[in-house]
Amino acid sequence: MTTKERVLAQNKVGKLTEIGRFIRDGDSVAIGGAWLSSHPMAVVRQIIRSGIRNLHVMTILGSVDIDMLVGAGCVGKVTFSFVSMEAYGLAPNFRRAVEKGGLKYDEISGLAIIIGFEATGRGVPFLPYRGPFGSDYLKQRPEFYKQITCPFTGEEMMAVPAIKPDVAIIHAQRADPAGNIQIEGTAGSDLELAKAAKRVIVTVEEIVPTDVIRENPFKTKIPRFYVDMVIEQPFGAHPTSLVPTYVADPWHMMTYMDMAATPDSFRNYLHQYVMKSEDDYLEAAGGLKQMNLLKKLAREVKSL
Amino acid sequence: MSKYSEDYTPAEMVCVAVAREIEDGDILILGSFTPLAFVSYILAKVTHAPNIMYMAYSSVDALPFQLTFATYEAAATKGGVARWNMTECIHSLYLGVGVDVEPISSIQADGYGNINISVVGDYQKPMLRGPGGAGAPEVVKMHRKMLAYFANHNKRTLVPKVDFVTGTRWKISSQERLKAGLRPGPIKLITNLAVLVKEEEGRPFRLASVHPGVAVKDVVDNTGFELDTSGDVPETERPTKEQIRILREQVDPYGMVAFDFIPGKERPAYLKSILEKELQALGY
Repeated sequence: MTTKERVLAQNKVGKLTEIGRFIRDGDSVAIGGAWLSSHPMAVVRQIIRSGIRNLHVMTILGSVDIDMLVGAGCVGKVTFSFVSMEAYGLAPNFRRAVEKGGLKYDEISGLAIIIGFEATGRGVPFLPYRGPFGSDYLKQRPEFYKQITCPFTGEEMMAVPAIKPDVAIIHAQRADPAGNIQIEGTAGSDLELAKAAKRVIVTVEEIVPTDVIRENPFKTKIPRFYVDMVIEQPFGAHPTSLVPTYVADPWHMMTYMDMAATPDSFRNYLHQYVMKSEDDYLEAAGGLKQMNLLKKLAREVKSL
Repeated sequence: MSKYSEDYTPAEMVCVAVAREIEDGDILILGSFTPLAFVSYILAKVTHAPNIMYMAYSSVDALPFQLTFATYEAAATKGGVARWNMTECIHSLYLGVGVDVEPISSIQADGYGNINISVVGDYQKPMLRGPGGAGAPEVVKMHRKMLAYFANHNKRTLVPKVDFVTGTRWKISSQERLKAGLRPGPIKLITNLAVLVKEEEGRPFRLASVHPGVAVKDVVDNTGFELDTSGDVPETERPTKEQIRILREQVDPYGMVAFDFIPGKERPAYLKSILEKELQALGY
């Protein structure tokens, strides 16, 4: 949609099974969230179910989102600064694909990738910053990092180019039908992804009337003129966290790591958890009982 | 009676040594999963540095919280004074006012002040594809002190030259750092054996102290780059009884601090045991 079309559209509510309207084979897809927090996992699973392939996925701090898409064979290339399962170890499918399968990748330092997204959002072809001088990123990615001289002070700076994903996918707490997105906890650089992408899909825990959004406007981080489609998908970040609503699911993460250990067992994971439907996924992952536990754990925390 | 503890683990020794690098008033970041670093921040905050502020996930200046496994992100979020996103964090803290300390851990480090979190072996066809640098390239270059900790001080980790420079201190001496617009501060590597410090470009890391029970030779034999061991090498200050009590009773009752010290294969079982204890304490 053009910005004007986005502003005019009053109802952007869609279904998870309709993401094919906005994500197609071969697209570059920037994935929101960071570490094991707030990744749009329901859309990740739907990409796999829908058989969308050859994606160029982009992440700042990726984890199970990237690993699952790579393991399911949906990815042609990864742009990333970090892919790790954190406490659970290195990302098994991602590692295998790079070490054995020759998966194409573009490794970019963390700040550079964020600033690259920002450049697109600001409508400029590059942005300067005090980049990773002396590192081997400059040798491996000379097309991405260019040393420049400040025209005002003469200081040496690093220029990084605008990064332009086709699609951004994000998960958040709440939206109205027009696509005003409220984020309450760990946000990564989701707003920069939304600004940079041509098309933006956001899943949320709940869709509410705009009046409810206006009650707490400070929670709205992405206004509707950036958004193409909103989908109500409770626990859409599972097994990653969406604080302060629910914590990450350590039990499911352990199951994932066990089953991602070999390509064969990972096929079983996809079959057992992912391939049917999102409702079936949540049921297989422990159903309401497990999801309520994750919510309770997020609520009951105390400071020292 | 001595105030120092005789009963502490190698992980607690490293954690306390990291905490002692934190000064009151410092700005810190909880980055990617480095539980020992998180424990050291909270220990510092509830002991000698009550006014430090840390950014944890999107939470700014959280109250001190217990280092649980399942819930610490939620605890940090609940106790903060503001919620920022990652972009606000990097622009203001990393690039603007400056972070003081953010201990990192890497696959390799060398004698030049370089770290590698990217690959072991050839870059395009690596033997090991690591996680990648995230913010580490800027952390090691821009922050006031470069601090890295290692659970296994050996020649596979502390190597003559890293396979890939994910990050580098770049300018090391105070003079060179000031000239490049960077704040002066040393490189410190805190390991299970010793504390190594580098303050000048052309000179090797100095063996600043060895932990109790460790000989200078043990450190030299397990380091892949040149060390300056001239003069008397002092013993690292031991943890106090009070620090160990606070760690075990308040900050880290489940032993998150030991995570990096547990062999990879045993970590899932260790995490499971922490989870069980955590849930039990919550009454589930």
